[in-house]
Amino acid sequence: MDIYLPIAEVSVNAPLLIALGALVGFISGLFGIGGGFLMTPALIFLGIPPSVAVASLSQHVVASSASSVIAYSRRRSVDIKMGAVLAAGGVAGSFAGVEIFRWLRLLGQADLVVNLSYLIFLGVIGGLMLVESLGQVLRRRRGDAAPPPRDKRPMWLYGLPLKIRFPRSRLYISVIPPIVLGVFVGVLSAIMGVGGGFILVPAMIYLLRMPAQVVVGTSLMQIIITTSVTCILQSGRNQTVDIVLGTLLLIGGVLGAQLGAKASARFRAEELRAILALIVLLVGLRMGLSLFITPSDPFILVSGAG
Amino acid sequence: MAAAPPPPTADQPVISAALTDASVRVSSDFRGAHIVVYGAVFDPQAKPSDVVIIVRGPDQPVRIARKVHVAGLWLNSRPVVFQGAPGFYMAASTRPLTDIAGFSELRLQGAGLEHLAIAAPAEQRIETRYGVRDMVVSSLGPDYLDWRDAVLRLKEKSHLYAADSTGVRFVDRGLFRADIDLPVEAPIGTYEARILLFQDGKLVSVRERRLRVEKVGLERTVFVVAHGHPWFYGLFTVVLGLGAGWAASVVFRRS
Repeated sequence: MDIYLPIAEVSVNAPLLIALGALVGFISGLFGIGGGFLMTPALIFLGIPPSVAVASLSQHVVASSASSVIAYSRRRSVDIKMGAVLAAGGVAGSFAGVEIFRWLRLLGQADLVVNLSYLIFLGVIGGLMLVESLGQVLRRRRGDAAPPPRDKRPMWLYGLPLKIRFPRSRLYISVIPPIVLGVFVGVLSAIMGVGGGFILVPAMIYLLRMPAQVVVGTSLMQIIITTSVTCILQSGRNQTVDIVLGTLLLIGGVLGAQLGAKASARFRAEELRAILALIVLLVGLRMGLSLFITPSDPFILVSGAG
Repeated sequence: MAAAPPPPTADQPVISAALTDASVRVSSDFRGAHIVVYGAVFDPQAKPSDVVIIVRGPDQPVRIARKVHVAGLWLNSRPVVFQGAPGFYMAASTRPLTDIAGFSELRLQGAGLEHLAIAAPAEQRIETRYGVRDMVVSSLGPDYLDWRDAVLRLKEKSHLYAADSTGVRFVDRGLFRADIDLPVEAPIGTYEARILLFQDGKLVSVRERRLRVEKVGLERTVFVVAHGHPWFYGLFTVVLGLGAGWAASVVFRRS
């Protein structure tokens, strides 16, 4: 059953889109990520123009994140104060990101930057997470005692001014690192069509040293706010949001997210992280691959305002 | 740009044509469209006739980049913008165009892919070379034709450009038909179909027909709102997303 998308101006198979939304939604609920990093490549592969895919996806990310954040907040695992600080940075980053994306499209370098960002960020983060979580899984299998918790929080984090208390996370740190993190993720959200959870979650664990149980809920809160703003900005500035595409994806997405959030209670955190790391790494390498393969046609039509 | 058809007199050959549909409605089940151009040649002298049908969609500038190999990576070059390229182009004829008319006539009518008037004005400058004034020089240099060919090739690959030297068939004495296939990617707007009658390599009669490709129903509403009230549209999209997420979590809590 094909359906014509009014903004993307292509025809796609509707059940396939719903199934794709459900799969990504499940992963989103399971790992507490938006899932955009999986969806953008999948949509581009289906023939949807990248600019429309990146923009429309934000609606799906909003829906599936909202669906799972409510489930998490019932377990009191959202640090609202930290989420608000991250989101403030995220909104600023999103404004910048939408403008950067416009400029890159005019230069014809949007593809390159999207592919490179995927290769670098997903590759590095996926690799690091995989090494770390596999180490933990192996230690548990061998029955070794867990190494004493290292408090390697960088000292400069303490030295920065504007300290704020985050009671839910039991932290007393400067607001500058979370804001910078938020801005960075906001820019990526506009350029890569991702929520940014794959960067936020590790950064909150390893950099800010937030307790694991609040990390997922808090990152979802930041993602909802940032992607909502991105979605409105992409509509207003670029008119590239396809509501039919977004809605089809989110039908599957919200259901999948609920199932994923339920399923997440059954797995060990480090095993989940190992699987997520593997998925992240594979997607990053796949997107980066196109930079190394000799193109079949030396010319390429580029989208964007003429 | 079209030469006016000669005034129809009793002994002048005249062509007449129509489209099976004057408008194509793009709704959610749109999977491309099939349109037939049909018509007749009225020629009292019954001379051998050739019919050429040219369908042009609304103009869409084309941005094209070349893949360049830099330090092991395949990167895009600076994009080049070609102006004057139609979003859809089809040339159908009874015989290969080069057999029907000469170069200048085909160029004048824009008949055939090689006679499409597309150019990259931003890359051009006019200068005097070898004592010849007003020469158009492209900064793309001798590769210019490669770029132009690439535009045509990529458009042909996505079925937006087509040239069919046997696309027009005479089904009966003086009666002809041609099929037009509009792909899903065909742009929205007004299309112009020009039906040309050639005899002895000369254009003797022209008919012009219009075809409108328009979005209807929900497709149209969404498109109009998204472009007319983009901020409201964005807000509505987000609210819909939040609402759906909230609704799902309520439903699942009960179950």
